[in-house]
Amino acid sequence: MNLWLAVASDKPAVHLTAQTRIIAAVIALGFMGMILELIRRNSLQERYSIVWFVAGLAMLVGAAFPGLLTFAADVMGVRDTNVALFSIILLLLLGLALNFSVIMSRQAAQITRLAQERAIEKAREQAATGNGGSAPARTEEPPTQAPRRH
Amino acid sequence: MAPDLHGRIGGVMRILVFIPAWNEEGTVGEVIAGVRERLPDADILVVDDGSTDRTAVAARKAGALVASLPFNQGLGAALQTGYLYALRQGYDLCAHLDADGQHPPAEVARLIDEVRADRADLVIGSRYRDPGQAESDDYQPTFSRRIGTSVFRFFLTLATRQRFTDTTSGMRAANRRVMELFSVNYSPDFAEIESLQLAVREGLRVEEVPVRMLERVGGSSFLTPLRSAFFIFKGLIVLLVGQFRPSRSAEAER
Repeated sequence: MNLWLAVASDKPAVHLTAQTRIIAAVIALGFMGMILELIRRNSLQERYSIVWFVAGLAMLVGAAFPGLLTFAADVMGVRDTNVALFSIILLLLLGLALNFSVIMSRQAAQITRLAQERAIEKAREQAATGNGGSAPARTEEPPTQAPRRH
Repeated sequence: MAPDLHGRIGGVMRILVFIPAWNEEGTVGEVIAGVRERLPDADILVVDDGSTDRTAVAARKAGALVASLPFNQGLGAALQTGYLYALRQGYDLCAHLDADGQHPPAEVARLIDEVRADRADLVIGSRYRDPGQAESDDYQPTFSRRIGTSVFRFFLTLATRQRFTDTTSGMRAANRRVMELFSVNYSPDFAEIESLQLAVREGLRVEEVPVRMLERVGGSSFLTPLRSAFFIFKGLIVLLVGQFRPSRSAEAER
């Protein structure tokens, strides 16, 4: 009836080749080495490195035990292990990117507050020297002879 | 620090008028002079939002205090700076108006009177004199602004169950309860509309007072049709999310 489906399901599952596994393992090791180097050079903070280490380790484990990937592909209902691998990586990267946006938002809020605090401090200094702002009728501090700077 | 609103025995209320300004060197001095004339008892603070021109110098020359943000942070952050300053310096009331000369200082004085009389915590100056009628003699909004205004008016009224005619008005007066709320909680992205929703949700008394507004003296509106659409879209998301935000007062009661 549905010829294409019948043929498709007869196709053997596609697995990772030995060559792919070796390349993946080498890349994973290189990747983790790079992270260590970045930490050593203070280019990457430890707290942001953990997630990358986990990613590198996962890559290594995936290369060493291809059975895990085949199992994951079966669970996902994907015949081609490579497609399963790509899907998993894609989802992880999506999560990471979102994580960065969250961190970025937090830092943007912190930067804003920092800028505000600094601006307020400057205005306070100006108010303390009686150099503008206050209504002429009322002065809290005795008017100091600070020169108006402009 | 000055005594707070309720702890005072007699004496005058301390008032801060702050003016968010971004590259408004041409008009800010005039606005300051106008405020000083109408509100001789108020302190005046210009929040210079990372201007690249001589806004801060012009403001100081006109005799205002200047809080300069080191880089442009957007209107919301600038307004929050004003609220934060008012709160920290112990002002009883604060008000803000735009630096481009659209807001007559006499009208700001009327808003302050409303708060001073304790008829409301937050008073908004509405440029639409007669609710439901979008034009006035002095102020002619552009087409895209009119659409945006009606959309926001509708959804904000829906969200707060309170009638608002001018949701994006930058002329407001507030007391210390509002300062406390806005100095912590003020969206940098969509300050005007979300702040209204927030204030109503927190149980503050928000009131609109019809005011006269003028055509801008200097500068130009940042609204192009495309930007307006984006502006409206962003505003709707902010309102939607705001409805599901936990209320601070509700948390405190728990």
